Amino acid sequence: MTARRLDDARVGRLLLAPALVALAVLAAWPGLWVLWLSLQRRIPVFGIERFVGPAHYAFLAADPRFWNALQVTLIFTFVSVALEFLLGLGVALALQGQRRGRRLAVALLLLPWALPSVVTGRMFEWLYHPSAGLLNVVLGGEAINWLGEPALALPALIVADVWRTMPFVALLCYARVLTIPSEIYEAARVDGAGALATVRDVTLPLLRRVLLIALLFRTLDALRAFDLMFVLTGGGPANTTETLTVYAYRSLFQTLQLGFGAAIGVVVGALVMFVAWGYLRAMAHEEEAAA
Amino acid sequence: MFTGGSCGRALVVVLSVLLAGCAERPDGAGPVTLVFKHAKILGPSDPVPALLREFERRHPGVRVQAESLSWNSDDQHQFFVINLEGRGAAFDVMMLDVVWVAEFARAGWLLDLSRWVPRTELEPHFPSTIEPATWNGGVWAMPWLMNVGVLYYRTDLLAKYGLQPPRTWEALVDQVVRVRAAERDPRLDGVLWQGRQYEGLTVNALEAIWANGARVFGADGAVFPEEERAAGGLAFLRALIVAGVSPSWVTAADEELSRRHFGDGRAIFLRNWPYAMDLFQAAGSPVRGRVGIAPLPGRVGGAASAASSGGAHLGVNRRTRHPELAAALVRFLASAEAQKAMSVGGALNPTRMALYHDRDVVRAHPDFPVVHDLMLRARPRPVTPAYLMLSTTLQPEFSAVLVGVKPPRQAIEHARRRLAYLLEGLR
Repeated sequence: MTARRLDDARVGRLLLAPALVALAVLAAWPGLWVLWLSLQRRIPVFGIERFVGPAHYAFLAADPRFWNALQVTLIFTFVSVALEFLLGLGVALALQGQRRGRRLAVALLLLPWALPSVVTGRMFEWLYHPSAGLLNVVLGGEAINWLGEPALALPALIVADVWRTMPFVALLCYARVLTIPSEIYEAARVDGAGALATVRDVTLPLLRRVLLIALLFRTLDALRAFDLMFVLTGGGPANTTETLTVYAYRSLFQTLQLGFGAAIGVVVGALVMFVAWGYLRAMAHEEEAAA
Repeated sequence: MFTGGSCGRALVVVLSVLLAGCAERPDGAGPVTLVFKHAKILGPSDPVPALLREFERRHPGVRVQAESLSWNSDDQHQFFVINLEGRGAAFDVMMLDVVWVAEFARAGWLLDLSRWVPRTELEPHFPSTIEPATWNGGVWAMPWLMNVGVLYYRTDLLAKYGLQPPRTWEALVDQVVRVRAAERDPRLDGVLWQGRQYEGLTVNALEAIWANGARVFGADGAVFPEEERAAGGLAFLRALIVAGVSPSWVTAADEELSRRHFGDGRAIFLRNWPYAMDLFQAAGSPVRGRVGIAPLPGRVGGAASAASSGGAHLGVNRRTRHPELAAALVRFLASAEAQKAMSVGGALNPTRMALYHDRDVVRAHPDFPVVHDLMLRARPRPVTPAYLMLSTTLQPEFSAVLVGVKPPRQAIEHARRRLAYLLEGLR
């Protein structure tokens, strides 16, 4: 009996091995390599390659550009994810209540999500165009400087991001909403619950887990935001839209400071892992509560 | 330690030159294919394929395969860096943005063409193209396409008020105020330029700094040695926006955004590159026949005029298996004959000075004799292997001045401090 169980364990480990090896090769090894790289001053163009220990991290700790990029990243993530949630949830509930044309609505909803991000970027470039942009024309021909004004550029990018990814949240929620048995709603009605109470006490609690998953995906994505900034503002004006990944790109690929760029990459990685860990814990709690 | 390193490097250079020599196939030992990597040639027609066929005709047994990269300069740079750092020999000849030449040469990615290209062969090209090509004593590339910052102005508006194209920025501001006061058109902007946080901003800010008599690097490598004057140049750009001489959205403008607005007849002046002229004079353009081209203004009490040059050079991959032929292709494409075909057939500006007075070329581009004089006086951006590091460090600082979140002096101080860390031991 015990021998059998040992055997099972061995077979189990054997079956797991390919996955673990794949993970080690694909995730752990590059991760460690980047960590090692971040401890060096390494600039291939100049043939410079030497160990500097945590010098890059020390520089970053006192680097206003880094703290600014961190702040931009966090504001962007928090505001855009929050808006995507409120709107996505709203759209999912609206779809649930809609009687006709649901399919058309879902198809339209998918459109922004399906567009390549560079196309989205170009489209918003035209919308925000100071003299010929649709937005300014609609607002009465005022030449509002959407992408060149420090106070407006980040909000303008957040709007573009919300437009693009809100459908993702909406569709995930909508899919979950469809699986809620109608008996539950009937029971709620029999108990005398109004529309608002039904949403609050029936729909939302049942959506909790799917919301958490969508939140996890969106937050991790937003923390690595890159393409919209890159296409629309290049991080400007005055770095007000430079996220950590844009900063890392500039250092790594544009100016080939491999060690310094890797250090920024490590910080982004640590940030993402920390947030993911928080979410996963929250989800584990949720499972326990459900069990 | 240091000498050991440079000895080792010298040995590598010698060995690779020897190996490259060995690997070279003797002529006629079978077909040879050269790969030419270049940016997409924008414009009405692409004259490059015909030139490559001509080269093949003159070198029997050689085939040239042209492969175009995306038009985005960042993408091109990334492509080259990854392939060259990986010691790839997938391409032989490459089209390089002029600001990359010193960087690629320093990295050891370019073949020194001194063996095939004597210095005298570079002399017919504009002076500002030669400094990058010959960085640190070699011949790393040959000039191919030329660019220069110019001032476009509305001939009709200036003539109406008896004005000449301004020689100084101060005069330009006066003219803008005068014309706009008389025209009473709230939709007419003064002067447009490129202030978005990207390479174009570096160019515009450098021109403002140079015009005010300041440099980026002093002879001893000091950054912004004339700090006061550099700050004054940046402050002037900010003042243009504050005074409404330039619309506030120049802080988000690139070449095309500003070119379109001026092309719609919505501004008196525009700083841009020569490519825009053909578009302004095209059939159906609202400003057709009403646009003139002039040198960028200087500053009162500063330098006369300071326009930045730009453009592309042709270089050879150090790992090419056919150095002889690759160098021949570069020399052919940079020849007067090929450059003439490119400027007559396409909308490209040659680097050879004489072509700007060539009868056939001038027939296709009547403004070329004027452009010639502007190019002759153009100044290259700092020729240093660390150019991209320099430029991407300066961009956010310049942008911060334009949108008014940093005083110029502070921006310069911040740029200096960053550069000290990043450039440590590099120059």
